[in-house]
Amino acid sequence: MTVLSGKSKTWILIASALFSAAVFLPQDLHAEEPYTFDLSETEKKPYHFGGYVEAKPVNFWADTNAALYKLKYYNQDVGRTLQEYNFKLQLEGSYEKDITRFYFKTNTDYKNSYQGNDEQSTFYEAYLTLKPSPSMKVDAGKRTFKWGKGYAWNPAAFIDRPKDPEDPEIGLEGFIGLSADYVKSFEGPLKTFAVTPVLIPVTEEINKDFGRKDYLNLAGKIYFLFYDTDIDLIFLTGGSKTTRYGADFSRNVTTNWEVHGEFAYITDYQRTFIDRSGKSYTDEYNAVSYLIGTRYLTTRDTTFIFEYYHNGTGFMENEVKDYFGYIDDGYQTYLNTGNDAALQRAATLTEGNYGRINPMRDYLYLRIAQKEPFDILYFNPAITTILNLNDWSFTLSPEIVYTRITNLELRLKASFIAGSADTEYGEKPNDYRLELRVGYYF
Amino acid sequence: MLKAITLFIVLVIAVPAFALDGTQLLKQIDRNLNPESFEMYRKLINVEPDGKKKEFTLFSVKKGSDKIAALFLEPASEKGRSTLRLGDNMWLYIPNVGKPIRITSLQSVVGGVFNNSDILQLDYAAEYDVEKVDESGGEYLLHLKAKTKTVAYDRLKIWADKNKKLPTKVECLTEAGMLIKTLYFKQVKDFGGGIVRPSYIETDSPLYKGYKSIMIFAKIKKRDFKDEVFTLTFMPNIDSLR
Repeated sequence: MTVLSGKSKTWILIASALFSAAVFLPQDLHAEEPYTFDLSETEKKPYHFGGYVEAKPVNFWADTNAALYKLKYYNQDVGRTLQEYNFKLQLEGSYEKDITRFYFKTNTDYKNSYQGNDEQSTFYEAYLTLKPSPSMKVDAGKRTFKWGKGYAWNPAAFIDRPKDPEDPEIGLEGFIGLSADYVKSFEGPLKTFAVTPVLIPVTEEINKDFGRKDYLNLAGKIYFLFYDTDIDLIFLTGGSKTTRYGADFSRNVTTNWEVHGEFAYITDYQRTFIDRSGKSYTDEYNAVSYLIGTRYLTTRDTTFIFEYYHNGTGFMENEVKDYFGYIDDGYQTYLNTGNDAALQRAATLTEGNYGRINPMRDYLYLRIAQKEPFDILYFNPAITTILNLNDWSFTLSPEIVYTRITNLELRLKASFIAGSADTEYGEKPNDYRLELRVGYYF
Repeated sequence: MLKAITLFIVLVIAVPAFALDGTQLLKQIDRNLNPESFEMYRKLINVEPDGKKKEFTLFSVKKGSDKIAALFLEPASEKGRSTLRLGDNMWLYIPNVGKPIRITSLQSVVGGVFNNSDILQLDYAAEYDVEKVDESGGEYLLHLKAKTKTVAYDRLKIWADKNKKLPTKVECLTEAGMLIKTLYFKQVKDFGGGIVRPSYIETDSPLYKGYKSIMIFAKIKKRDFKDEVFTLTFMPNIDSLR
């Protein structure tokens, strides 16, 4: 049985109070008024300024036997439960004049945890758009592209940062580049054709985390709406990453059923892995990743999102076992001798390699969301699971979202992280997590 | 024998003539509701049984019989979202998500009684065939059947004012005849440019007992657009049309 610390109990009480206060807000704040349309709401200004502020306390219940717990906390006594308080501020604005528009979006994350305080601020996007006609536009600056049709994963999103399948709709930071869009509409089976070329430079100063430095990369996407099916053909070449090709599609089969798929072919992909003794190996091959998925809405307003993802760049089950074994051995060495060299090396290997999101080969994603059950408007419960098909470990995350109050979004989400020894989710530092997200748009 | 032949000829002529009248009447209702290509502003209000409300403001553009797009202007949490419909295809663009995702006509991007096909309504004649027209007092009653399975409601019953040829009430039904929702068209208003139509649509549903949703129309005016406005590429830029 888990015993909650005093701090945990206090936090849970605060979370419950906040949630309850929002759900049962006094009705007189929303007193009935005549239904009118104030036309001042339709007036357009050349500028826009808005934003989003969020508070997200999280409680973790640690798995002290897990390899990644040992790796993270081997030299600290952090206890069985951990609290983390996250705050986010995003500001966005735009100014439009004739065919020109400037847009920016900032992001500031502030985290208070057992490790102290951490604050990071950056521009997620800041770019200038020239739009001489509805058929043509050019963007220069930092922006996101979000290519691909997958909901949880996007193997063909070659010029975007990887999204988190636990929170796939969250905004991401873009890259600096120059892009154009040309679009043409037709009558007949081919309704739309669009082409999007993108130039992304990587130097010591800009786009450092895109790939190898001192290259000018060229990416492109060709889009067709053909026989009521969205089809994209994608490529990236230039040196910062190996050349890769992708394709995706999406189609509504009926009024309540959508299917989609995504494919990526990555040439000369290099993978580094270790054996249990820590000896490092590198192999190089042409990797194939793909995803097939569907979205289905029942007559009772239940939405099912289901995806299968094969990650051709991922690790095999035995390779991940060796990695966890290496951490366990390193931890024993640390306990016996105080030498943490192996753990330090494991931490380096984790960064961007074993530690990337979903680092293995085959996954299933299932999300079941019920719209407004029991006739409660704006109340949307959902449950999401991500299953690793290689080792059968998984996460299961029930959540409730409540958006009754205009511009205020409340989400209470729990996660159960489970798996046997030497599995991806079994070796995560936590067994359970509970988070409350209170977000306000302005 | 001559009587039988005459009756046969009358019937053969009368049936298509009746069907043509129904279709023409429906097309007339469509044109009276909106010009073929136009822009407009709408306010959507979801009202709960205790009177609590949630409001959305949209800017919409439409071209021809199968192209319509809408941009959310208010509230701040929805601002910048846009929806596009090209025939049976529908997409939703959410600025944070950053790319258009396919949605289905039966989903609702706003919650409440209105679903996506209500918000991105095409001409009735583009999606429905007229099966029968009844006349009673000052009203027509049109019985419509969806042309394809991809239409949100399989059957519609439209009550229309005989003189104005504008709908007063629409019932949306399943294939089995189960009532999904009822739309009430109210407050006929002159929007200028020859557009005289109801400015207020109220809807309720037996599936959402006690709830109702309201759509208020403003600034409807004829306007032509390039076809490329109705593409996924243009979805993040609909505001530039205002």
